[in-house]
Amino acid sequence: MSSTTLDPSRRGAHAGTGGAPAGGMSGTSTGPGPSFFRVLNSEFIKFRTLLSTLILLGCTVLVVVGFGALSAWGTGQFSEAAATDPQAAAAFAAQGGDLAVGVPTSGIAFAQLILGSLGVLLMSSEFTTGMARSTFAAVPKRIPAYAAKLLVVMVTAFVLTAASVYLAGLVSLPILDNYNLNLDLASSQSVKMLLVNSLYVAAVAAIGMALGSLIRNSAGGIMSLVGLFFVAPIAFQLIPGDFFVEARKYLPGNTVEPMTAVQHVPDTLEAWQAAMVLGAWVVIPVVLAAVLLKKRDV
Amino acid sequence: MIEARGLTKVYGDKTAVAGVNFTVDAGRVTGFLGPNGAGKSTTMRMIMGLDRPTSGTVTVNGTPFARHAAPLRDVGALLDAKAVHTSRSAYNHLLAMAATHSIPKKRVHDVIEMTGLADVAKKKVGGFSLGMGQRLGIAAALLGDPQTVILDEPVNGLDPEGVVWVRNLVKYLASEGRTVFLSSHLMSEMAVTADHLIVIGRGRIIADAPIQEIITGKGQIRTRVRTDQPDQLMHLLAGDGVSVELQENELLEVTGLDPRRIARAALESHIMIYELTPLQASLEEAYMELTKDEVEYHSLITAGAAAPVQSGGN
Repeated sequence: MSSTTLDPSRRGAHAGTGGAPAGGMSGTSTGPGPSFFRVLNSEFIKFRTLLSTLILLGCTVLVVVGFGALSAWGTGQFSEAAATDPQAAAAFAAQGGDLAVGVPTSGIAFAQLILGSLGVLLMSSEFTTGMARSTFAAVPKRIPAYAAKLLVVMVTAFVLTAASVYLAGLVSLPILDNYNLNLDLASSQSVKMLLVNSLYVAAVAAIGMALGSLIRNSAGGIMSLVGLFFVAPIAFQLIPGDFFVEARKYLPGNTVEPMTAVQHVPDTLEAWQAAMVLGAWVVIPVVLAAVLLKKRDV
Repeated sequence: MIEARGLTKVYGDKTAVAGVNFTVDAGRVTGFLGPNGAGKSTTMRMIMGLDRPTSGTVTVNGTPFARHAAPLRDVGALLDAKAVHTSRSAYNHLLAMAATHSIPKKRVHDVIEMTGLADVAKKKVGGFSLGMGQRLGIAAALLGDPQTVILDEPVNGLDPEGVVWVRNLVKYLASEGRTVFLSSHLMSEMAVTADHLIVIGRGRIIADAPIQEIITGKGQIRTRVRTDQPDQLMHLLAGDGVSVELQENELLEVTGLDPRRIARAALESHIMIYELTPLQASLEEAYMELTKDEVEYHSLITAGAAAPVQSGGN
């Protein structure tokens, strides 16, 4: 039965001293309860005190900046080839001529995977570790804790993505410059790309958190997320039939391009439609997860 | 004060808690005793608002837990030593819990100190032994300095010194007028810790009484007698409501007669007796008696009845 590994020298201090262990207790309990701000503070403490979370955040920065630099190099090579090869020149022209503006956001696909998984993990680990019992004993109304966690996850995903994309842009500048390509990080298209992609990643993180809350299992949640963002677009393309061609436009992963397009591309959603579709992809699972979280046993 | 009224929890086709009624009063340690799977943990989770009752209600100080304005300051619970993220340190876990109620950092340090976790507070909980996990759970329960303390199997995995510490702690908390509700499947632990006992089996309350009443209430008076002339004494004592059993060569167990009358009868017939020991049913026996039909998982090999405990002797 003996299994504590406390320093033996300390043991005497709390052995058999009836009153001493509870020292500092007093009278009846009055004091502040769980307001939203306090719960938010608690969720932020929980967020920043997990090493795995910090590692995933660091990975996101590395991946986005790394892919930005790689993409800058590749884009430069491509434009050089276009100068001598008429075929490449035609392809270059077909892209609208401005490839550099997409360079800083070229690592977004990986950022969404990492931060989406983080969203899943932050919620599913509450249930797999049993932490949820502590969390919801402290905040028995449950929804404030859920909303606070959602806010922490979304704000972090947005800020981190925006910062990483900007950093990727800064790193890309000298590389692009080498190939005489111009990138203005302050141009309206650059800013639009940065904001839309950051919002998109925040949305993916929110969807991930909702999945983590609904499925309560890390592997299952991450697989669902991967299925939705990586498998479904490919599967929808392979399955013959007009229905899947049409449905593919409404997948959450295909809403970013219409929102960042310089001008509307035929056979895609309008920017406002894409925004609505992405919004629905966030709101429906998030609300469903909240309702079930309130209803289910912990 | 904790009050359960018609509290019921059904999982699928299995009834974990079947309409129980009980009251846990302040100022004493109330034990919640029952075999594994009897519904103790489910009941405690329902008190804490984590499991929703299928029907019935349970309140703490007259209000369901979820409607308390400052839940952690009113009720502290150790429901499961593993209700912690294994990758977070004990200190950060308590800090995050405290933040929900603006409980100062000083209090976090205090509960770490009083549960003897100071040396390991900055280490990841995943590396904790079961006993340290229990101490952390108790620290979390005490964090809000609550009027009501609920501890589910708190001595599980604790070393003997830790067991004594928990025993003294809960007694002290009760002496301060707090409501202390403590579950265990260890009868021996309850016998020395609890003032009042609620016994549950297969989701039903089978006893709710002061601990002394449960121990003495069931069995009849039994006495162990050693004599040179067991046959004669047996013959002498036999009568209505009295049963005498020859256990060994010169050893009798008499049920239904108090020691004084046995001694007098022996004296009058000039039968020498050289041992006369009153036997008291142990809580263990009382418990076995109470729960014998309620145990969910019977052992295949039936153990013999628990050995009686001497109360007066030696």
